Amino acid sequence: MPASFRILDDIAIADVAFEATGNNLSELFVAAAQAVIDIVADPTTVAKAWHRTIEREDDQIAELLFDWLSEIVYLKDAEGIVFCEAMASVVHDSVHRCWRLHGELIGETIDPARHELRSDVKAVTKHLYEVWENGEHWKARVVLDI
Amino acid sequence: MNVNTHMTVNRITDQIWEIPPSEKDGMRVPARIYATESILSDMDSGVFEQVTNVACLPGIRRYALCMPDGHWGYGFPIGGVAAFDPDEGIISPGGVGYDVNCGMRLIRTDLTLSDVRPRLDDLMTELFRKVPAGVGSKGSVRLNRRDFDDVMRKGAAWCVEQGYGWTEDLERIEERGCIGGADPSHVSDRAVERGHSQLGTLGAGNHYLEVQVVSNHRIFDLETAAAFGISGHDQIVVMVHCGSRGFGHQIASDYLKSFDKAMRRYGMTVKDPQLACAPFRSPEGQEYFSAMNCAANSAFANRQVITHRIREAFMAVFGSSAEALGMQVIYDVAHNIAKVERYAGGDLVVHRKGSTRAFGPGRLELPEAYRRTGQPVICGGSMETGSYLLVGTERAMHETFGSSMHGSGRTMSRGQAKKMVSGEQIRKQMEQRGIIVKAVSMSGLAEEAGLAYKNISDVVETVDLAGITKKVAELRPIGNIKG
Repeated sequence: MPASFRILDDIAIADVAFEATGNNLSELFVAAAQAVIDIVADPTTVAKAWHRTIEREDDQIAELLFDWLSEIVYLKDAEGIVFCEAMASVVHDSVHRCWRLHGELIGETIDPARHELRSDVKAVTKHLYEVWENGEHWKARVVLDI
Repeated sequence: MNVNTHMTVNRITDQIWEIPPSEKDGMRVPARIYATESILSDMDSGVFEQVTNVACLPGIRRYALCMPDGHWGYGFPIGGVAAFDPDEGIISPGGVGYDVNCGMRLIRTDLTLSDVRPRLDDLMTELFRKVPAGVGSKGSVRLNRRDFDDVMRKGAAWCVEQGYGWTEDLERIEERGCIGGADPSHVSDRAVERGHSQLGTLGAGNHYLEVQVVSNHRIFDLETAAAFGISGHDQIVVMVHCGSRGFGHQIASDYLKSFDKAMRRYGMTVKDPQLACAPFRSPEGQEYFSAMNCAANSAFANRQVITHRIREAFMAVFGSSAEALGMQVIYDVAHNIAKVERYAGGDLVVHRKGSTRAFGPGRLELPEAYRRTGQPVICGGSMETGSYLLVGTERAMHETFGSSMHGSGRTMSRGQAKKMVSGEQIRKQMEQRGIIVKAVSMSGLAEEAGLAYKNISDVVETVDLAGITKKVAELRPIGNIKG
């Protein structure tokens, strides 16, 4: 199964919830980021004119994913960016007993004339938030405050 | 009666329903929901779970409450009200929400529908130009860090000092648009970076700016309406719904994270991670309270700058000064906030999340003009159905910690709404009904379709019958701006 996400219509009436899936943690991080990117603006209308590398670490994988997604929301407001692509590599550092993320976000400065803007995400929430391994896949359920 | 919960729900009156503490382990007080039987049976299961989770929080007094526009939120339900003892109780970002001091402002005019109808398209175009909306919109007020610190401390008063509005506006804002104890040192750099360029912007989601009309036959209390500056005769008013933008969202996110650790330190547990809290008197509780007040003041400032831009737009279109057009602020109310308020038994930390302060007559916090009537309570409906102006009552002071409803409340998810109708369809349908819509995002417009909301008239009828606020006037939309 390729990395993917699906919107969960039944669990957040006023907001937007999604479930992301990946064959491994790196794919899960890409899928979840793509969900947030897609909810904010149609990525096919966004050019690759801006690039940011994100390095994070945490001893809990759920917290690392939460911070990664929160970074997208932060950059949307602080730097006025919409995104078209995300890349991620997640590895376990057994020496320091933590998870390490090397992520990359690609997009451009918001231009309402060219970008199909969708929802202004306020925050990634902990409401029903969960990251779990299901057989061969990693999954995450995320509710975004709109 | 069918309700979406396995818990026992007892009828107290036709508009008040109570879940006793025996229904969930840890409940310290009963949970009370204000609703008609019909509204109660339509409420989602989350309301019952969340309002009873709130009833478990330390130091809660009397009841955990939910208003009739209640629906599933994070931590607290939307429509939630709870008051805590300041010495024994807590403060929780989950009881305030991400959009700190999201609220409503209503501005009156002396214009009538016949004055505005011929120029409505020009007016909406000018308002859309003057008040930035949508994802990533930036305001025209340029602020350095020191200026933004002043916004955090002074709120709407800073705007008036800078020429954005009139001194008399401040009288007509909850807390005069400036809550004390706001200390910018408790605010992260990330919050400032997210918010400093957004002053004077609407945002998106359910936020809007609406031009509305008040007809004679939709005024329910002539005397109170007159005291509020509402005369009817197809009078034009302007309603603004927005909050503290990315600045407040980041403060909420920052403190939810830090409270997670604080709870472990204080040995506290909650039923839901979004109810993360800290003792109100603890250093963490006081830091959040201070930072939240910074966000609350920035939201008052945001609506003040927007008011200034609205006046500019009306002046440009109608060629008269805002003073000559009678564009006074009727009132500005917060509906996502925690405040220390004095009641008969002493001070309480009152959390309102999707609920409006609804103080009755005589309260010294109210401007002199409203001390005899009670405060205006501004309730926004969906963009298709209209809104209401209500008045606070003495009964609210005794029953609901001076609180009432804030809007109509959603009944359908954003995704479902988009499946049922497109933004372009809604725009055309509303235009056929004489409502001009300017929207940045067509998908965002579809998400806010009237069919996704409860009927606001049913919700208003509930609080009116319950006596915790009384109807003053219905406000019908003729122009709407959305992000």
